[in-house]
Amino acid sequence: MTERMMTRLIENAAQLFLLLVLAPLVTGVIRALKARLQTRRGPGILQPYRDLRKLFRKGMVIPETASWIFAATPWVVFFSTLLAGLMIPMVAAEAPLGLFGGVLAVIYLLGLGRFFLALSGLDSGSSFGGLGSSREMTISALAEPAMMLAIFTVAIGAGSTGLTEIAGAAIGQNWRFLAPAQMFAFAALALVLIAETGRIPVDNPDTHLELTMIHEAMILEYSGPYLALLEWAVSIKQLVLMTLLINCFWPIGLQPTWFGFGALQGIGWLLAKLLFLSCAIVLLETVNAKMRLFRVPELLAVAFTLGSLALVSTFLF
Amino acid sequence: MLMMPFINLQLGDRIVTLMAALVLVLQIAMVSQRWIVIHIRIFAAQSLFLAMIAATIAWFNHAPHLYVAAALTLVVKVILVPILFERLVKRMEIHEEIEPIVNVPLSVVIAGGLTLVGYVVAASFYRPDEPGLGHNALAVAISLFLIGFFTMINRRKALTQVLALLSLENGLFLAAISLTYGMPLIVELGVFFDVLVAAMVLGILVYRIRETFESVDVSRLRRLRG
Repeated sequence: MTERMMTRLIENAAQLFLLLVLAPLVTGVIRALKARLQTRRGPGILQPYRDLRKLFRKGMVIPETASWIFAATPWVVFFSTLLAGLMIPMVAAEAPLGLFGGVLAVIYLLGLGRFFLALSGLDSGSSFGGLGSSREMTISALAEPAMMLAIFTVAIGAGSTGLTEIAGAAIGQNWRFLAPAQMFAFAALALVLIAETGRIPVDNPDTHLELTMIHEAMILEYSGPYLALLEWAVSIKQLVLMTLLINCFWPIGLQPTWFGFGALQGIGWLLAKLLFLSCAIVLLETVNAKMRLFRVPELLAVAFTLGSLALVSTFLF
Repeated sequence: MLMMPFINLQLGDRIVTLMAALVLVLQIAMVSQRWIVIHIRIFAAQSLFLAMIAATIAWFNHAPHLYVAAALTLVVKVILVPILFERLVKRMEIHEEIEPIVNVPLSVVIAGGLTLVGYVVAASFYRPDEPGLGHNALAVAISLFLIGFFTMINRRKALTQVLALLSLENGLFLAAISLTYGMPLIVELGVFFDVLVAAMVLGILVYRIRETFESVDVSRLRRLRG
């Protein structure tokens, strides 16, 4: 019994460490690759770590109109994202906190973070914050149904909404993403990933200077350690969603459990797949221009249709 | 060894299903597309997948005359018709966007709904005891047909209506090859010749409409009323 608990603890600690350390690196790699592709030199891949360290040392400015929500938001966002990260399978199919909830819990933990972020955008009292909040909520309301449909498609295949079961069912079926239902679901989830992480056709993650910004508008009033927490949380959320996508659809190299030599192998595969997905994202961001806000619902309507087709074709194909 | 043909047939079915799914995705992409040149290219890509489906069915069912149909699709719909249309677009200097009557998000959702109708209709043709290719392809074919019809109604410009008509014809072709493993060759030849002539005639017609009314917006044709 105690041995089992120890195993759990070690798993949790390892995944926590991986989430905290890997997330800024993924952001850094994406930025560096993007700079390279645009023939800029760009910052090194370790820049996000340096940014975080710098921000944690700085002082803070808090708006006079702000209430406790403004101060609570960075903590809520950071810890809800981290908790969601512990509920997904990363290196092995077995999710460390899988016992506490399945994929729905993960999605709504991320939703809790988003809710507080939108509230704090309003709370800061700047008109930009309110704009950002309303846009974020519009987009997430459209993205959520598409995401749900795609997730349910995968869940029906595994017979459970528990992520441990979903990833476990995927092991050994390396080519199943070629089945039409899986392909539709993957496409829908990839579009949602772009919308949720604020990548280019939907939102531009690199600028604070556009009137069309969404995410950056909400966190415009944050500074110092709070900003660092939020930035860190955003990169963890990105890592969580990317990992969810790759472990549900490309199970190659995913291990059944954490221990032994398998864990190292699992980490290696995870890094390789993350790098591949990052390259795809970078390519997509470079060849596309940012969409007008009123065009975003069209993109998400396509995602929704793909998601519903995926769900329907699991029953019919 | 006895099982081999069946396994082959299953593999063939999977390949056909995958391609059919891609054809369907491209059809929905066509509904959501606003730029006419990209619309033409998506049509070309869809036809390319169609030709690949025809070739796959020909390979796994040993129906050599389907290779001819595949080659004809490749020449006519992937190469000739798109080139013809792109030249037409360039000559008429159409740069503006496609303006659908129903807005794009709703059109896409309607297209999804029509796909469901296609599946429900195709389900009544399903015979699980007969191993064979293309039950899924039939559902996709009916969906292509319905979405093509919807797109024709939904567009104002003559050229985009012609493109919708051609994608509808793609649906008919897919239904024919998936149900009967190909019509007799002479019929297919006739159909392809028909498509080519139709594309040319409609192209000239569109050009004439443009010359007469200085627009390809068919709603202006009402001015013909006396």
